[in-house]
Amino acid sequence: MEATSASPVAQAAPSRLVTWRRVAARVLTGYTGQTVLQGIVTIWAVMTFTFILIRQMPSNPVEIETERLVREQQLSYDEARSRAAALFEFDPDQPILEQYVAYLGKLIRLDLGKSITSTGTQVLDQILEYLPWTLFSVGLGLLISFTIGIFVGMAMAYWRGGLFDNLVTAFSSILFGIPNYIIALLIILILGVQLNVFNVASALGRVDPTIKPGFTTEYLGSVLSHALLPVVTYVSATVGGWILTMKSSTISTLGEEYVTVAHARGLPQRRVLTAYVGRNAMLPLVTRLAISIGFVVGGSVIIEDIYRYRGLGKFLTTAIVARDYTSMQGVFLVIAASVVVANTLADVLYGVLDPRVRMGKER
Amino acid sequence: MDLQSVASLTGLIIGALCGLVPLAVAIRKRTLRPGILGFVACLFSGFACNVLGGLPMIVLAVAVVISYTYTDKDDPFLSRARLEDVDFEETFGAMVTRRLASLGRTTRGASRALVRNKAGFLGFLGLVFFFVLTVFGPMLIPYDGKPHYYDRRREGAISLFQGPSAEFPLGLDWQGRDILSHIVHGGRSLILTAVQAGVLTTIIAVILGALSALLGGLLDRALTMLANFILTIPQFPLLVVLAGLISFQERFYLALLLAVLDWPSLMRAVRAQVLSLRERDYVEAAVVLDLGLPHIMLREVLPQMISYISINTIFSIQGAMYAIVGLVFLGMVPFTEPDWGVMIFMGRSQGALFSRDAASMLLSPVIAVALFQLSLVLFTRSLEEVFNPRLRAGL
Repeated sequence: MEATSASPVAQAAPSRLVTWRRVAARVLTGYTGQTVLQGIVTIWAVMTFTFILIRQMPSNPVEIETERLVREQQLSYDEARSRAAALFEFDPDQPILEQYVAYLGKLIRLDLGKSITSTGTQVLDQILEYLPWTLFSVGLGLLISFTIGIFVGMAMAYWRGGLFDNLVTAFSSILFGIPNYIIALLIILILGVQLNVFNVASALGRVDPTIKPGFTTEYLGSVLSHALLPVVTYVSATVGGWILTMKSSTISTLGEEYVTVAHARGLPQRRVLTAYVGRNAMLPLVTRLAISIGFVVGGSVIIEDIYRYRGLGKFLTTAIVARDYTSMQGVFLVIAASVVVANTLADVLYGVLDPRVRMGKER
Repeated sequence: MDLQSVASLTGLIIGALCGLVPLAVAIRKRTLRPGILGFVACLFSGFACNVLGGLPMIVLAVAVVISYTYTDKDDPFLSRARLEDVDFEETFGAMVTRRLASLGRTTRGASRALVRNKAGFLGFLGLVFFFVLTVFGPMLIPYDGKPHYYDRRREGAISLFQGPSAEFPLGLDWQGRDILSHIVHGGRSLILTAVQAGVLTTIIAVILGALSALLGGLLDRALTMLANFILTIPQFPLLVVLAGLISFQERFYLALLLAVLDWPSLMRAVRAQVLSLRERDYVEAAVVLDLGLPHIMLREVLPQMISYISINTIFSIQGAMYAIVGLVFLGMVPFTEPDWGVMIFMGRSQGALFSRDAASMLLSPVIAVALFQLSLVLFTRSLEEVFNPRLRAGL
């Protein structure tokens, strides 16, 4: 980008061009520049791939709306079709290459376009409407299960072979083995319907629609209580994996020589456990956490469907069923971008946390 | 592989015939106990999978029988003969016997390792249970696919749903059909597709990973880039899109698609392992001795990775099942009844979620899927021991 913006200046001052080029070259070959470039290329590739893919799906938004009109309002096919075509700012007969170029042109200006089926709504606005809910529920679940995993896993490794260890290992393997939607269904079926612990009908959804949005305790309480079920599901589906990983990571750290040395130096038990064992055992988990953050944005399509929790996952399935190309495209773009950013973050974080990696890179 | 013709009378006969081979060998070798065991094993596997199960089991059973009595007279380490007296040229028959005996010893060691880990063995038993349920279950419980509208309706009931009763142990579904028969018949295509997907994933990943590591260069870079690219796309949403794009009437294509989306993580692990193993002394020795690529890959490199790969296969199967049931759950793939996933979908869309009478319709398939997944995860513990030569050697 620097090189192109520098070109008009080139005629006037050739020496400046050389410096610009040098700067551009250094930025592009440097570690940060490389990572950013690679990320952009990956996002572009995913964008192109999904762009072509979703337009290959059978039917299109106009077609689906036409069918709906024929079915529900008993219109003739031609009438329904012209009405549907007038309703949407979308021409299904436009060549895909033209659509692609137009989309790319808008995307460079960070414009995700308008939703096809919800006429007049910007895709970006829609995403901003749904994304916070998913980020909140999945992110909270991830944080809770990560924290539990770290502490329980460490405790298990410390008292390994004991009753606590055996019980929790069995329990976490069970949780680890069961898919998250199965857990969600079991929660509703057993806790909700059979035991009546909570009222199923009022627990579904993301917030009580009768309460006016705002920073009132009533509204926030409703948000929290509706997020409870998804969060509990996310936590129980992932906590087993975190516990087991942390346990094995801690066990291998406990065997390291520097831990023995720390004990031999007579350091207090607490200090050895926190500064020597805990911090090092957490290393692989922190990078995994960073990677999972990337998948938070995609949310859980199925869980949001079960709990009727209208987040990005639910938005995506709705868009897929209605063949709302631009909305689908927008969601995929956001997900791909977050995965790329999270992966980069994991890389950087590992270097920061583990001096050995940093030293290796410099050498 | 088609399990359409499983557990038939022909299978039973084939199994019995196959079982005669290890029995005959055992009688000749005068070790009856393993012979009877071999007969039973052949009978069951022949019963379950006809020739496909019977013939491999003959080899395995004979191998185990032979391994009980076999002592290698020509083995320079085992026999007390002097080196000059040992004849290193062995006849074909002797070679076959030696190979079989070693296979038998490995099998015995593996089965002992299987039992050693309690959690793993529990998982193994769970898998056996599901195998028996889907293969032999249909013989005992015929499929009840016809909707029975009113003949089974209880007096005063609002819906056709019914809780468990003596006549129908798992109750009746929304159309008044027997849920037990759906559970028995509904697992086959699901499990088969998941297993196919897991195996395909492993094959693709191992081949590409090994090629990438061994050949290097442009191919390596291209494959690594492709793997990273696929890892960036969120799998499940992509699957939902693809499910609209491809017709999954043929479940094998679904398995293939799942494999195409799932190979990258295992491929990267295999590539890293091969790269590191290539530097090991014993592999370099094999290269210097010019033992050929197949030997180096299969005998030197693969045994080091087999534990990791097989455990990954299990996890791929688990992931595939998650995806398939999830897709059916969202109503994104064409339904083929009977199927656990379809039961969950129908139960949900027919309001079984909120009705106490209907809980069995949802709970039964949900528990079946959960138990199967759990068995898979637990089974990996045993696999670790089975493929660990140090643990296995403790015969």
